[in-house]
Amino acid sequence: MKNNPLSFSVNLRINKNQNQSSQFDYWILLSVVLLCSFGLAMIYSSSNSLEMTIRQGIYFLAGLIGMLILAFSNHRKMEVFYLHSFWPVLLLLFFVLLFPSENSETKRWIDLGLFTFQPSELMRFILPISAASFLTRNLETKIKDMWLVIILTFFCFYLVAIQPDLGTSLIILLAGLLPVIIAGFPWIYIFLGGFITILFLPIIWISLYEYQKQRILTLFNPEADIYGAGWNIVQSKIAVGSGGLFGKGFLNGSQSQLNFIPESHSDFIFSVVAEEFGLLGVCILFLIYGILIYRLLLVSIYSPNKFAKIVSGTLSIILLAYISINISMVIGLLPVVGMPLPFLSQGGTALIVNLLTIGIILSLRKEV
Amino acid sequence: MSAFDNKRDSNLVSRIIIFLSPFLILLFFAFIQILNLSYFQAEDFKTQSESNRLYQSKIAPQRGFIFDSNNILLVENNIQQDLEINPNFIENPTIFLRQISDLLEIDFNQIESDFYIRSTGKNAKEPYLLIKDLTEKQIAKLSVNLNKIKGAEIISSFSRNVLHKEVMAPVIGYVGNVSKEEIFNNPELKSYKSLKIGKTGVEKDFDKLLRGVMGFRIQERDSFGKLVRNISIEPPSKGKDLKLSIDFELQKKLLNDFKGRKGALVAIEPKTGLIRALISSPSYDPNLLNTINDYEEVKNLFSDKDSPLFNRAISGQYPPASTLKPFVGMAALEAKTISWEKEIFDSGEYLVEGDQRPYKGWKEGGHGNVDMKKAIVESSDVYFYSLAYDLTINNLSPFLEKFGYGEKSGLTKNESKGILPSRKWKLGYIGEAWFKGDTINMGIGQGYMTATPLQIAVAYAALANKGEIVQPRIIEKIGNSETVKIVKNNVFLSDDKNWKRIEEALLAVVEASNGTANNIYDRNIRIAGKTGTAQVKSIGETEYKLLREDKSLRDHALFVGYGPVENPKLVVVAIIENGESGSAVAAPIVRKAINLYSKNEK
Repeated sequence: MKNNPLSFSVNLRINKNQNQSSQFDYWILLSVVLLCSFGLAMIYSSSNSLEMTIRQGIYFLAGLIGMLILAFSNHRKMEVFYLHSFWPVLLLLFFVLLFPSENSETKRWIDLGLFTFQPSELMRFILPISAASFLTRNLETKIKDMWLVIILTFFCFYLVAIQPDLGTSLIILLAGLLPVIIAGFPWIYIFLGGFITILFLPIIWISLYEYQKQRILTLFNPEADIYGAGWNIVQSKIAVGSGGLFGKGFLNGSQSQLNFIPESHSDFIFSVVAEEFGLLGVCILFLIYGILIYRLLLVSIYSPNKFAKIVSGTLSIILLAYISINISMVIGLLPVVGMPLPFLSQGGTALIVNLLTIGIILSLRKEV
Repeated sequence: MSAFDNKRDSNLVSRIIIFLSPFLILLFFAFIQILNLSYFQAEDFKTQSESNRLYQSKIAPQRGFIFDSNNILLVENNIQQDLEINPNFIENPTIFLRQISDLLEIDFNQIESDFYIRSTGKNAKEPYLLIKDLTEKQIAKLSVNLNKIKGAEIISSFSRNVLHKEVMAPVIGYVGNVSKEEIFNNPELKSYKSLKIGKTGVEKDFDKLLRGVMGFRIQERDSFGKLVRNISIEPPSKGKDLKLSIDFELQKKLLNDFKGRKGALVAIEPKTGLIRALISSPSYDPNLLNTINDYEEVKNLFSDKDSPLFNRAISGQYPPASTLKPFVGMAALEAKTISWEKEIFDSGEYLVEGDQRPYKGWKEGGHGNVDMKKAIVESSDVYFYSLAYDLTINNLSPFLEKFGYGEKSGLTKNESKGILPSRKWKLGYIGEAWFKGDTINMGIGQGYMTATPLQIAVAYAALANKGEIVQPRIIEKIGNSETVKIVKNNVFLSDDKNWKRIEEALLAVVEASNGTANNIYDRNIRIAGKTGTAQVKSIGETEYKLLREDKSLRDHALFVGYGPVENPKLVVVAIIENGESGSAVAAPIVRKAINLYSKNEK
């Protein structure tokens, strides 16, 4: 790395033992804190529930603490832990299928009395890390190991898909396959896999639940049934469009304040942002996300460590996937799948998992 | 690190970039779409979001009250609570209707069929009243549970309440929903669709005034249809109050005399044209129609063979019978085909050359030698047969027309015109030429001629006024402004004394010992009047005796009178269907009306 052309990286190396904090990426911390605070404000605006906002705030603080702990941990020592933590989470996935929480129609939640959490969220966090750890055990990644990861990934995908949770199961697929692909899975197999997937699309369509099919069909003509499946999309489009350039102002979005957008505090929170802060607010939001992902990608680009590259690469892609899919679904480009907007949407597990993800990448950043 | 490693590393990074790119592209398209929505289509979506949250609704005005001439309240409005539902907010109609029916303890099938009739109609998405006039118990239950039921709301409305039901029904009429036909005829009614409008009587004639002006309200509502706040309210303005000319106490007392009888009465103040009593019997309860709760009752009302909804006083067309005789006499005097003194021999029947059948008088054997006065007092038929024969229809019809026969009095659009026959009329309506016999029958107010009780009252008011034809009116005051007297016509006689002489003859009908209405003689309040017996079927005496068995074919009894003669305050026409004797049945009612009214006036 002596020849690394980028001076700041070199500087970091020089300063390594002099100033611990200089290795810490404040841009990442700042953007995450900004996003989460903004999220809290939007949750309050759309739910009008101080209780829900405070609850989310507590999750945020807990996640922030967890993130900082991970950020300052030694990831080399943690790698063994990451490697083996896959199995207990897999057990949790079984558990949630066998003993579902009675409060919900879908088998996603584990009720711990004080709070509930989704093992699938935990899985999409753990899977890429333990996979990356598994794949980088040896200096050369063995193709046999890759196949094992792929098989286990599809297994997890299946377990989550039958909960049913299409959105998260697709993310898990991504989270498990990306480390393999980044680690150097032969292109020939990747293309073959993509080709087979296209062939199997009709079968996948048949195996979808009726409401999932409905959501996809609705995409093509949301106005057809304004009070049915298309309602969400039509209403959130109205919200985004009526926000205009500068928005209606904080707490003044009639679409969200008057409950025209279902789930406006969770999956559809982006429409509240667009309605109340307009195109300008959307641009600022994009900018913060941009900074965050850019800084995360820098880790994978400049880290000499293969594990770090795989993990930060995978997690950045997943983060971007969440953002792009969620926003596309809110404005009617993609079908409505249960996919929250990272750091903004209400939901404890997702927030904590996202913060811990950032924490791990921050800990990798120290290696640079 | 080796070069190989470096190559592998850059391979890793390029793979990351490759798999990052589809999402970047997706995000790029998303941004284009956001730009499209919030910049290029922003105005469109702003309107949509406004219409999402803003609801414009009408506020029903309160209908004007109606009072009698002594300011006794006759018609008011009850405030009732209705359950309004907004189909836009109902997600599952079956669950919704089940909730409502369980909560209010009403038949599920009933409201379900109402709901589906409505929801398949043209205005399927407009809010409407599902259940009207909620009971207090239902309101209590609803107000506790309504926030859990999406799309339902309690709203208050007014229902019309006629206080003295049967007494005032023929005058007041009733209200009902606006029909398609009414909107077609008067597009203005479109905006009053949610209201009830007058269907008959004063309610109909003065509907525009009574109705008031709709208010508007713009409300912000959430996606559950629940009210967030009122954005602007334009309050409705109440309809105008009406003061009728009807004397409620008089009307009530007179209606008693119609118990169990079919008939009509019109009492009119000759000098002003104000109607003090207007009765049509049998009457009905207008509230049954104002708020239809029991369809069976309403059906019975409409199918009743005594037709209580038919206003006999203004629309009933009866032969004027002998009440027409004074006018025939006057016409003959004007045409100079007769004089007061000339006597005609009444043998009981009248024969015309070329006619086989004699025209019979009502009295077997006749009245002997009669002049005009005696002919009126004793109601000689033969005298007036002869008069009419000499006069011919060409002279008779135009003269009667001056007194308002054959045309609407102008009280209301709903009245009938009666029939004033003429050559032209018969050719047009019957398709036959006019016969001399037709004129002869008309001489005693029979044959084709018909008139409404109201028309007879107007004609006799002209006698009391000595020629002034006053348009009858039933409204004394609209809001605070008084209505004015309208003189339609002035009838001039070639000899002004004839008014007096006719009045003397009519006075003698009551006061002379041979007068047909001698039974109501009262020296304190002198009445001039004329009896009449309208034939339901024109046949001879002997045949009639057989026919009498069927009550509905018996003659109608008529009496028309005015008094006190010195200063006529009231003209009263009373008709009792199938009452047979004008003097025995109808005249006492007229006497009672004039006595009651004169006493009140003092």
